[in-house]
Amino acid sequence: MSQFLQAAAYGVVQGGLLGLVAVGFSLVWGVMNVVNFSHGALAVTGAYVAWVLNVRFGLDPFLAIPVVAIALFAFGYVVQRGLINLVINAPIFLTLLLTFGLNLVILNGLQLLFKADDRTIDTSYASQSFAIGAVNVPYGRLAACFLALGITVALALLMSRTRLGHAIGATGMDRGAARLMGIRARHIYAVTFGIAAALAGVAGTMIATVGSFNPTTTPGQLTLDAFVISVLGGLGNMYGALVGGLVLGIAESLGGLLLTGTWVNAIAMAVLIVTLIIRPSGLIGKALYSGRVEV
Amino acid sequence: MIAPSEVPSVPVLEVRHLAKRFGGLWALRDVSFSVSEGEILGVIGPNGAGKSTLVNLITGHARPTTGQVLIGGQDVTGQRPWVIAHDRVARTFQIVKPFRGLTVRENVAIGAMHGNERDRSVRDSLATADELLDLVGIAKHANAAPMQLSVADARRLELAKALATRPRLLLIDEVMAGLRHHEIESAVELIHRLRDAGITVVAVEHVMKAIVSVSDRILVLHHGSILTLGSPREVLSDPRVIEAYLGHRYVKRRSE
Amino acid sequence: MSAAPTPGPMADILQGRARSRQGLFVGWIRALTPANSWPALAGLLVFAAMLALQQLIEPGTQRLLTSVFLFVALAQAWNIIGGYTGYASFGQVAFFGLGAYTVAVLMNNYHVSFWAALPLAVLVGVVFAVAIGLPLLRLRGHYFAIATLGAAEGAREVINNLTSVTGGGGGITIPTFGSDAPTPYFGKPGFYLAFLVLAAVSVVVAAVLARSRFGYAMVAVHEDEDAAGAVGINTTVVKVVAFGVSAAIVACAGAFYAFQQIEFYPTDVFDASFTVLMVIMVMIGGSGSVVGPLAGAVGLQLLSQFLRVNLGNFNQLIFGAIIVLVVVFFPQGVVTYLRDAWRTRQFSILDNVRRYRL
Repeated sequence: MSQFLQAAAYGVVQGGLLGLVAVGFSLVWGVMNVVNFSHGALAVTGAYVAWVLNVRFGLDPFLAIPVVAIALFAFGYVVQRGLINLVINAPIFLTLLLTFGLNLVILNGLQLLFKADDRTIDTSYASQSFAIGAVNVPYGRLAACFLALGITVALALLMSRTRLGHAIGATGMDRGAARLMGIRARHIYAVTFGIAAALAGVAGTMIATVGSFNPTTTPGQLTLDAFVISVLGGLGNMYGALVGGLVLGIAESLGGLLLTGTWVNAIAMAVLIVTLIIRPSGLIGKALYSGRVEV
Repeated sequence: MIAPSEVPSVPVLEVRHLAKRFGGLWALRDVSFSVSEGEILGVIGPNGAGKSTLVNLITGHARPTTGQVLIGGQDVTGQRPWVIAHDRVARTFQIVKPFRGLTVRENVAIGAMHGNERDRSVRDSLATADELLDLVGIAKHANAAPMQLSVADARRLELAKALATRPRLLLIDEVMAGLRHHEIESAVELIHRLRDAGITVVAVEHVMKAIVSVSDRILVLHHGSILTLGSPREVLSDPRVIEAYLGHRYVKRRSE
Repeated sequence: MSAAPTPGPMADILQGRARSRQGLFVGWIRALTPANSWPALAGLLVFAAMLALQQLIEPGTQRLLTSVFLFVALAQAWNIIGGYTGYASFGQVAFFGLGAYTVAVLMNNYHVSFWAALPLAVLVGVVFAVAIGLPLLRLRGHYFAIATLGAAEGAREVINNLTSVTGGGGGITIPTFGSDAPTPYFGKPGFYLAFLVLAAVSVVVAAVLARSRFGYAMVAVHEDEDAAGAVGINTTVVKVVAFGVSAAIVACAGAFYAFQQIEFYPTDVFDASFTVLMVIMVMIGGSGSVVGPLAGAVGLQLLSQFLRVNLGNFNQLIFGAIIVLVVVFFPQGVVTYLRDAWRTRQFSILDNVRRYRL
């Protein structure tokens, strides 16, 4: 029993973090109809920025977050403005390919700069934990989870309460109409991608603090997780990403306990596909886009 | 109205209590009528009356919420579009849907390849397409891209595509909207020729004048329900039709 | 009102009279003229040239060309579902991996000969394609792409975890030497020939499909499914068959690849970059034609080999950058761009970039 509670607790804190990985991915997909293959690579880029700050200047990863966020926002803004905007009206697989190419560039760039080794950001507290009954909760993961929650709520508020959020939402729903209303779609798209990149970077920093990362396998795994979570949560739905993250986190940690090998990954894919078929708008709420053929 | 003795025993198309709901809105409500062989039925109604929904329900491009569609006495309710097409029912789309990557000739040939009595080879289908392009009067654009056609010619292409499937029942969805006077005249003439060749026609139109000259009977839809169904003269003199079309102010002014 | 069909030419056209009832192939052969048979002749010439070339080149070049042939087949296969039919599958590698594992498991565990295992591998690919195609081909755009990607990842995980049958993550080895070998190993020259034939067959299949009634149906489905249904095209059948034909070619390629590699792991034959390479090759060449994917596969495979040899560690970085640049500058594909530019005499690349920009 305590084993289950422990796994569930781990799943919850891990799920919050996964939700933060996915929320930017979901935002970009929902607003621009772009599936960003390089999302995981952006997260790992953020992890390296924080890692360098930690190794060179001894900066605490939580304090490095603003720097990471600003750096990744700037990078994301430029990428969208200079590249993705150029093919935004092309058939969908072109944007997929563009971000795939971008992914290759970022990954191999990181590998050339930092080697392919596993890295982690060491702190005095991340591996320490406290106990509730029989359940151990590591401080680092708990803090990361709360940060993820806070950021997701902040983003949801930004989207629903601010002029910028409304502009992003409006552009996502009907770009033509939004432009007629005087919204600069190019700029709004770039800001959206910048926000997504910044969130990915923050998530990457947290992953580097509570676990380890490398430039070869981590990005692909994160992008795939973001896929699954976004589909589960509904595209462009901020809280949905969080819920999707929790579902995936708990399912993976309980599945790891109950199933041998990596069957849990196969089940995650089955859930993804079944969700797409029977409920393309996600488990909760409505998505901005619907992918079903009417006939 | 047709006298009962003249009505063939099985109508080409029969619609029973057809209804379609989109969310909380009834686009069509309890619509029943039938069309006999060789007849031209006009369907009119203001924007949003449910005309296109009616066509979509008949051709399987949407599923009715309740009610039945019978083609030649056979229940085809909820069948997929290609099944209906193979029951010799063809349609045009209000917003023309050409296959943009193909030439005008190839667009028409596809119907000859996959419709009824179909040609065995691509080459035969292309020959059939040429005959049909000649029939609707756009043979000179055979090798053009469909996006280069004028509005009137794009509608003709839409018609040729439908005819290529060799239908016995043709549903045309606003083929005359936005056409000039002489273009409407030639369209009316073409519809008469189709009927003479044995095709039953249901013509959905927004333009009242065109429909009156072409139809044997006219069905008027209003807010998704049948307002009236009768000969052009009966329909034209029905005050409810005039009101639905031109608003009650117009009716009042005329009566003054 | 009792309008009996008027006999005459009009009724003939509209009601349909049987046209010539000659067989399909007779019709094709009669339709051949010097003007329209040059692609077939050119293809035959290239095939013969490749056969002759094999005697002249060193083993390294032979291996490179063998991989080019593999990708020609894969690109043609992707183009059938992604290019002609318009359903961008990001999971075609699933069929590659399933084909590879069917052959390896049969040859290794049950001592079945390669030639008996090959058709079974194709069958497994097609059955899987139909099974996932029926539900997934109802999804559009990104949803279809993601669902197929998920199906491929899922298939890999299943193979990965069926350790008792497939060897799981530890990989699988096909016995190729001595009395253990169900079929003697082909060797480099043998695989050159095998992949050359596979590439040729895939090009012929794509070309024949493209010019058939089915080819027109695929294009119609790509353009507008409502309109395709209205002219009598069974869109479900067209999509599933196109997916199945594509899967058959990919599974066949996977089967040959498995035998060629002898030993491999699930991560090798279910590597998503195979799928991405198929997409890129079709896209760079130009989708919806037979020449586009052919040119894309040959060009890209030679380029990537050139980069590997000359740029060392930087080759993947540059490869990614080239993909980005090609997508931005030639969004419709290089071959399509050149063809259109030649026709319209407008070569400005800047105008080309404006096509899809915001």
